[in-house]
Amino acid sequence: MKSVKTVRFLDTAVTYMILIVVCFIFLFPCLWLILASFSKSGSIYSFEGFFPNAYSLDTFRNLFTDTEMYNYPQWFRNTLFIAAMSCLIGSFLVILTAYTMSRFQFKGRKIIMKTTLVLGMFPSFMSMIAVYIIMTQFGLINKMWGLILIYSAGAPMGYLTQKGFFDTISTSIDEAARIDGATNFQIFLKINLPLSMPIIVYTALTSFVFPWSDFILPKLLLKEKNLYTVAVGLMSLGDTEFSRFAAGSVFIAVPIVILYFCLMKFFVNGMTAGAVKG
Amino acid sequence: MMKRILCLVFTGIMCLGLISGCGKKEGGDLPQNVSTGEEGAAQGADLSAIYSGELEQNVTIRVLENDTAIAEGYFQELINAFNEEYAEYGIVAVDANMDQYSNLADDGPYGYGPDVLYQANDILMKYVEGKHIYPIPVESLECYEKISKMAWDAYRAEIDGVEYYMGVPVNVQSSMLYYRKDLLPEDWETKWDKDGNKIPDMVENWNDMYRYSKEIVDKGEGKYGYMRSLYDVYFSSGFLFSYGGYVFGDNNTNADELGFSAGNAEVGANVLLCQASLMNEDCIDDSITVNAYSKLADGTYFATMTTPDVYPLFLKELVLAYEAEGMDAETAKSKAVENLVVTEVPKLPASGDLTEEDPELIPLKAMGGVNGYAISAYTKVPNACLAFVEFASSYDMAMKRNEYLGIVPARSDAAEAVGGISEIIYRNLDEGNIVVMPSIRAVEQIWTPAQTFFQDLAKDAFRTEDKKYATLEEIKEGLKTVDTQIYDAIHTLVSK
Amino acid sequence: MKDRMKKIGEFFKDAGRNVKLSMCLMGLGQLFYGQVGKGLCYFAVLVLALIYFIWRGIADLAGLFSLGTREANTWLGIEGDNSVVMLLMGILAVIALLFLGVCYVANVKDAYETQKLCERGGRPASFKEDLKQLLDRKFYKTVLVLPVLGVCVFNILPIVFMIAIAFTNYGGSIVPPKLVDWVGIDNFVQIATLSQFAPTFGKILLWNLAWAVISTGLNYFAGLGLALLLNKECVKGKGFWRAFPMLAYAVPGFITMLGFKFMFSYGGPINQIITGMGYRAIGFLDIDAKWIARGIGIAVNAWVSVPSIMLLATGILSNRDASQIESAKIDGANAFQQFRHITLPFVLFSTTPVLISQFIGNFNNFGVFFFLRGGLYIDGYFLASDTDLLINWLYNLSINNNYYNVGATISLIIFMITSLLSLLIYTRSSSYREEDTFR
Repeated sequence: MKSVKTVRFLDTAVTYMILIVVCFIFLFPCLWLILASFSKSGSIYSFEGFFPNAYSLDTFRNLFTDTEMYNYPQWFRNTLFIAAMSCLIGSFLVILTAYTMSRFQFKGRKIIMKTTLVLGMFPSFMSMIAVYIIMTQFGLINKMWGLILIYSAGAPMGYLTQKGFFDTISTSIDEAARIDGATNFQIFLKINLPLSMPIIVYTALTSFVFPWSDFILPKLLLKEKNLYTVAVGLMSLGDTEFSRFAAGSVFIAVPIVILYFCLMKFFVNGMTAGAVKG
Repeated sequence: MMKRILCLVFTGIMCLGLISGCGKKEGGDLPQNVSTGEEGAAQGADLSAIYSGELEQNVTIRVLENDTAIAEGYFQELINAFNEEYAEYGIVAVDANMDQYSNLADDGPYGYGPDVLYQANDILMKYVEGKHIYPIPVESLECYEKISKMAWDAYRAEIDGVEYYMGVPVNVQSSMLYYRKDLLPEDWETKWDKDGNKIPDMVENWNDMYRYSKEIVDKGEGKYGYMRSLYDVYFSSGFLFSYGGYVFGDNNTNADELGFSAGNAEVGANVLLCQASLMNEDCIDDSITVNAYSKLADGTYFATMTTPDVYPLFLKELVLAYEAEGMDAETAKSKAVENLVVTEVPKLPASGDLTEEDPELIPLKAMGGVNGYAISAYTKVPNACLAFVEFASSYDMAMKRNEYLGIVPARSDAAEAVGGISEIIYRNLDEGNIVVMPSIRAVEQIWTPAQTFFQDLAKDAFRTEDKKYATLEEIKEGLKTVDTQIYDAIHTLVSK
Repeated sequence: MKDRMKKIGEFFKDAGRNVKLSMCLMGLGQLFYGQVGKGLCYFAVLVLALIYFIWRGIADLAGLFSLGTREANTWLGIEGDNSVVMLLMGILAVIALLFLGVCYVANVKDAYETQKLCERGGRPASFKEDLKQLLDRKFYKTVLVLPVLGVCVFNILPIVFMIAIAFTNYGGSIVPPKLVDWVGIDNFVQIATLSQFAPTFGKILLWNLAWAVISTGLNYFAGLGLALLLNKECVKGKGFWRAFPMLAYAVPGFITMLGFKFMFSYGGPINQIITGMGYRAIGFLDIDAKWIARGIGIAVNAWVSVPSIMLLATGILSNRDASQIESAKIDGANAFQQFRHITLPFVLFSTTPVLISQFIGNFNNFGVFFFLRGGLYIDGYFLASDTDLLINWLYNLSINNNYYNVGATISLIIFMITSLLSLLIYTRSSSYREEDTFR
C-alpha cells in the first residue's frame, strides 16, 4: 500500500509542478503588461529589463480622466455594448442552429454542414471589401448596430463545435418526453438547454470575446472617433503613449476575467453527472 | 459615341454652373481674400464648374486634421478663428472626427468622407487618379506667390493634358539632426571646431560624427554617438539620393524606371553600413525609432535623426530625465530647451569614405514631404471649403501652427519670420536638397522592398561570418534587387 | 434522376385547380383551400419580391452583366456607375431571385400536399396548426431561417463577390470610379504564366501546411492536456489555476502580438537581459531569423489559442460518462489506457469539427506573422517573406499592392485546395459518419 501512496504523492507533485510552469508561462507576459501599465514614465524604454524604474497610478488616472484626445471610457462603453449585444444574439443563434443540426434529420442537412465547413475556409479579409460595400448600401456605416448585425449573423457559421457537444447528449430523454406529448421546442427548452450549460457558457464567452477584441471590422465600419472600440482606439494611440496602451490593454481584460469567474460555476458543474446516460 | 455623350454632359454642366453662378449673385458680398469664379477661370474653364465663387451659406465643413494639431490645441484655435471670420455666412468648420490616416477613396464616394483634408503629399496625390479631390485654383490664392515652387510641385498633376494643383502646401517635413549639447566634449570649441564657426564639427559633417561616435563607443561605457533605426526608408534613402540614387525616373514621375541603384547609390549605402558598425543591434529593427526619446534623454545616445515635428516628445523626456536627476521643474525645462538642439543634417564626404580626413563635403539629400490641405470632391460646399483652405494657409495661421507644433511653414514669409530650423529646411527645399516624396500612386510599393534592404544592410554590420555586403559591388547588387522587387510589385500583376 | 422526372410528370398530371392557381399566383391556391393566413403570407412574399425587383432588382441584375457603362467624374459632377457596387448588388439580386424561386416551389408543393391530404379525406391545416407545426415537426425550419439569411448576406454574398472578382480586372489602377469589366479566365492564365509565381507559391504552401499541422496539433493537445491536468482529482483550487490561461485569453490577440513583437525585438526586454549578461543580442525576428521566427510564431500562436481549447475541452470533459471510467478503473486499466481508450475517442469525437476549424483557422492565420514579422520581402520569394503564410502573401499582393483580382484568383485556388482537403477529412471523420456514437 505504501507504494501506491508514494506514486500518488509523486503524481500530485508532478502535476503541481507542471501547473506552476504553465501558469508562469501564461502569467509572465500579462504580468509584464500589468507592470508596464503602472510605469511612471510613458515610455517603454525607461525599463530595467522587464520592470519599470518607477511605479505610479497616473496612467490609469489619465486613462479615465484625460479624455480630450483618447476617450477611453467612451471606447469602453462602445465595446461593451457591441460585445454584449453580439454575444446575446450570436450565442442564441449558434446554440439553436447547432441543436437543430444535431437533432433534426432533414433534406439538405448534410449539404448545409459541408457548405458551412467550406465557407469558413475563405480568407476573411478578402471579403472585407464586400462587407464594407454592403454596409454602405444599407446605410450602416458609423452605426454600432451594423457591427452587431455582422457579428451575430456570422456567428452561426461556427456552430460545428456546439453541434459536436449536442451529439454527445443522449436522445433517450427526448423520446420519453415526446411520448408525453412535448413539442420539439419544449424539449429543447426544458430538457436539452439545462444540460448544455458548459457549451452555452463556452459559446457566450467566445462570442463575447471576439467582438471584444476584434480590430478589423470596427476599424472598417466605425469611422467616427466617438464610436471607436477599445481595440481601434488603442491602435490609434501615439508613439510615446506606451503605458497608456498597456493600461488600456490591461483594463480591457478585466471584464473577461470577471465574466469567467462568474460563469465558472456553470461551466464546470454544468453537467449533472450523466443524466440518463446510456 | 461615349465620348460625344460625355462632351454633351460636360458642356451641359458647364452651362448649369454658369447659370447658377449668375443667378445667385445677390447672395451677399464675398470677403476680400476669397477667390471668385472669374479669377479661378485662369486655371482652365472647368474649375468654374466646381467653384461657382459663391459662398454657400449656413453650412458645416468637416475638416480632417492631423492628431498632433488637435492634441496640441492648434486645430481648435484654427476653427475658432475661421468660424468667427465667417460667422456672418453661417459657415462652421468642425472636426471631421475621423482617423487622421483615413482613406478618402474609401469613404468619400459613399458620403462618409471629410470636406477638407490635411495629409502628406504622397497620400493626397493618391486621390488624384480617381478624382477624389478637387483641383484648387491656386493662382487666385493669397499664398500662391509665398510658397516655394518646389512645395507646389509636390501637388502638381497633369490630367488630360491640363496642369492642375491639387492641394495647398502648409508645412514641410524633412530630416533634422537632434543632439544633446551637454554631451559634447568639454573641449569641443578647441578640438572639434576646425573651421571656428562656433558649431561643433560632428554635427556639421558625418566624418566627424563618425570619429566622435567611435570615441564614445570605444570608451566602453555602453554609450553611443549617432543612433538611428536604419531600416526606415524615409531617413536612410537620403544617403542613396546624395550619391545619385533616386526613386522614380523623370523627376519621380515615371514608375517604369526605378533608381535606388542608380548613380553611385551603393556608396551612400556603404556610409550607412559604416554608421551601423558604431551602433548596436537596435539599429536593425525599429527599436531606436521608439527608444530614441528616452535614450537621448538619459544620455545613452548623443544624437539621432528624425523629423522636426517630434521635438515636443524629445523635450518631454529630457525634462523628465533632468527632473529625475533632482532638478526642479523650471530649471529642468529651461535646461532641456537649452541642451536639446535640433539642426540641419550633417554633410557627407563626396568620396563616401567616413574615415577620410578633411574630405570634400556634399549636402545630404534627405527625403521629405509636404503636408497640405486638399478639398474632397464629394463635398457639397466647395466654395466654403476653398475659403477655409485659404484661411488656414494664411500667414497668421502658419505662424500659429509653427508656434503650437514647431512645424516648418511652407510659406516663405512665415519661414523667414520664424527663422531657425524653418529657415534652414525652407532653404534646403528651395535648393533641392530635400527630395520630396514622389506624388504618384506607385510610391506605395517602394517601402517594403527598400525597408528589407536597409534592414539586411544594417544586419550585415553584425554578421560575423559570410557578410552579404562586403564590397560595393555586392551592395549595388542588393540595390538592384530592390529596384526589381519594386518594379515587380508595380508592374507584374497589372491586368493586360 | 429518372425517378425525379417521373415524379414531376405525375405531379403535372395530378395537380388540381388549386395547385394550378398557386402556380399562377403564389398563395392563391391556399386561399381557395380556406388557408387565409398562409395564403396571404405567400402572397406577401410575392408582392415584396415584385416591389424589390421593380424598385431596383431588375436594374441590379442588368448591372451584373454590364458592370457599369458611365464613368464617374466628380469634377464634372457626373455621378457615374460604381462597378463594384453594381457587382455586389447584382449578386444580391441573384440571391433574392433564388430565394423567390425557393418560396415559389415551396408554395406549389404546399398546395399539392394539401390537395393530396384532401383527396385522402383530410382537412386543410388551419393557420394556427401550421404555426404550431413550426414549433414542433418543422422546428428546424423556424430556427434556421434567421441564421441562413444572415449567413447568406454576410458570408456567402461576400464570398461569391470575391469569386466573381477573380473573373474581372478590378485592381491596380482599375478601381472605381474607373469601370471594371469581366475578363473571363485571364487572371488565371496570367498567374499560371507568371514564372516567379509558382516557386513562391510552392514554398509558401509547403510551409503553410506544416505550420497548420504543427500549430493545430500543438494547440489541441496542449489544450486538452491542460484540461485533463486540471480535471485531476488531486488538483485543489481548479478555478484558481484555470484563471491563468484565462488571463491570456482575456487580452485581445493583437495586443498580445504587439507585446510579443516588442519582447523579441532588439531593444526588447529579452535582448536587454541577454546583453545585460554579456552576450550578443539575438535577432529573434529579423531578416536572417527564418527558423527562429517560425518557432516563435508557433509558440505565440499556442499561447494565444491554448486557453480557448482548454476551456472547450473542460466543458466537453464534464459531459463524459463517469461510469465508464469507473468500470475501467475496476477492470484495472491504468491512467494512460483510460485516456487512450475512453477519454480520447470521446473528446476526439465531439471535437473533430473544432479540430478542423482550428486547422482552417491556423491555415488562414493572418495575425501572427503580420504583427510579428510584417514588411519584409525575402530573396527567393516573390513579394513575400519566408515566414509568410499564403494569407499574408495574399495580403501583400491584393490589399498592400491593391491587385484585388489577383488576390481573389489566388484565394480561389487556395480555397479549392483547402476546402477539398478538409471536406475529405471531415466526411471521413467519425463525428460526421456516426453522429450517434456517443448517444
